[in-house]
Amino acid sequence: MAVEARIKHSLGAFTLDVKFESAGPVVGVFGASGCGKTTLLHCVAGLIKPRDAKIAVNTRVVCNRPGGTYTPPERRKLALVTQDPLLFPHLSVRGNLTYAPGSSDELESDSGWQIIDVLRIKPLLARRIAGLSGGEKQRVALARALLSRPEMLLLDEPTSALDAGLARDVLSLLVQVKLRLKVPMLFVTHKAGELMALADDCVVLDAGKVVAQGPPVDVLSRPRALGVANLTGVDNLLRLKVVRHDEEGGVTLLDLGGLELAAPLTDAAAGTHIGVGFYADEIMLCLEKPAGLSARNALRGKVISVDEVGREVLVRMQVGEHELLARITPAAAAELRLNTDSPVVALIKTAACHLLGH
Amino acid sequence: MLTEAELSVVSLSAQVAAWSVLVSIVPGVLLGWLLARWDSPLRGLLQGGVMLPLVLPPVVTGYLLLMLLGRSGPLGQAWEAMTGGRIAYTTAAAVIAAAVVGFPLMVEGVRLSVLGVDRRLEQVSRSLGRGRLRTFLRVTLPLSMAGVLGGSVLSFARALGEFGATIVVAGNVEGETRTIPVAVYTLLNQPDGEDAVVRLVLVSVALSLAALLAAGWLARRHGRQHGR
Repeated sequence: MAVEARIKHSLGAFTLDVKFESAGPVVGVFGASGCGKTTLLHCVAGLIKPRDAKIAVNTRVVCNRPGGTYTPPERRKLALVTQDPLLFPHLSVRGNLTYAPGSSDELESDSGWQIIDVLRIKPLLARRIAGLSGGEKQRVALARALLSRPEMLLLDEPTSALDAGLARDVLSLLVQVKLRLKVPMLFVTHKAGELMALADDCVVLDAGKVVAQGPPVDVLSRPRALGVANLTGVDNLLRLKVVRHDEEGGVTLLDLGGLELAAPLTDAAAGTHIGVGFYADEIMLCLEKPAGLSARNALRGKVISVDEVGREVLVRMQVGEHELLARITPAAAAELRLNTDSPVVALIKTAACHLLGH
Repeated sequence: MLTEAELSVVSLSAQVAAWSVLVSIVPGVLLGWLLARWDSPLRGLLQGGVMLPLVLPPVVTGYLLLMLLGRSGPLGQAWEAMTGGRIAYTTAAAVIAAAVVGFPLMVEGVRLSVLGVDRRLEQVSRSLGRGRLRTFLRVTLPLSMAGVLGGSVLSFARALGEFGATIVVAGNVEGETRTIPVAVYTLLNQPDGEDAVVRLVLVSVALSLAALLAAGWLARRHGRQHGR
């Protein structure tokens, strides 16, 4: 087990009461703000001394209270990276990178250089902290944590303080860290996309309690708490079987139940299931299957419901064995005259199908 | 220009003040840190105790010190038993008096600047494998250096001006405890002392002003270095 945790801890009126174990290696803790995810992370890091808890990381017990062991944070080998990079302002970039015991040697080693390479730190080495941009600071913070050779990286919303573009950049770096450096992680986030991209296993927290656990696509497609549903944002989440790959055509065909969905080419084996998500805005509706179409998916279906919400119309439809949600304008809805049971064709570009892990 | 006697008064004052800072810097930093970071109901009491010399009449502070350090006081007796000498009415007593009255300024300077250090930096340091002491020495202390230096300069300036406690516990011994304020007081009671008083007063004002300017400069320099 990467993480085993049983924690009871109160902070004022809030109580964290969780119990879970996860094989990881990358465990995502998902929930709205105030759900207790940072408290959980701080308990694992050793920055909060919980009243009653047993916590083990990679089967090593770091906290067993009351009465048992309590390893102080500096001996847990769990490096924390937070929303703010929290670089030491009085040290240089190099001073920050070599702050942890043994990190100077690590920086000179092959594994150290791999960290520098993956996080593109080399051009930053001679720079001053004050001159770094937000994204650069977060890269240095990640490298500093990795150079301490942690047994697990603890990430507290590592992209939340960055604007969208930089957040994507840091997220893709984290995926690189996972794939190339193979460092286990426990990370907390309120972003569904981050969970999809990074987590192998996901623990959903709501009001201090675990409400769901499982692979991210499962957990997100069946939000068990309102706070979670509000966070997921992706309107259509499907878990589909891989039928076959069309390598020349650049698509992987997935089974919708009588229909096939052409998704971007993936290396998932035929017969396995993968998650696919697409946004309601990315589905185009028409009455007849158009000719000469670039979009690979023109899926015949039947309207289940049409709801006008403010200045947009939500059309829920049955396509194969699945339900899809499309968002169109009132003008388009009027022209198409969509009603319950109307036949409809849903057009979806392959590129709009977001693959959500295996 | 200053006469030889006046020069020795100024030099003694500077030495006493410097020693008072030197002996109080380590306990001052530790207490300042403790008062900033220690979450305990006893903290208020401790802070009150540390601040007391700031508001007590210095003569009262001096009297309390005399009760401790005098021939019949517990510390005075212990010292006499160990060395055969005395503390009261020596340069050491002047240093102690100056250190005690300057101590609150030192502690407060450190405390405020430790409060300004982001605690999360300390948490990150711990999670990177550095224990409490290392974290203090490598993160908290460097980042609160402005307060340590500023507190030192202010307590140095306060020590230069110390009169009430000094006169009670250290007396007015030429070359040993006759600092600038004690000398000025002595000269005021002499019919021909006026010129000397003016000269010592000018030195006193210059030294105090220089110390205050230095404290301000250190704080600004530190602010620039850390981009605040």
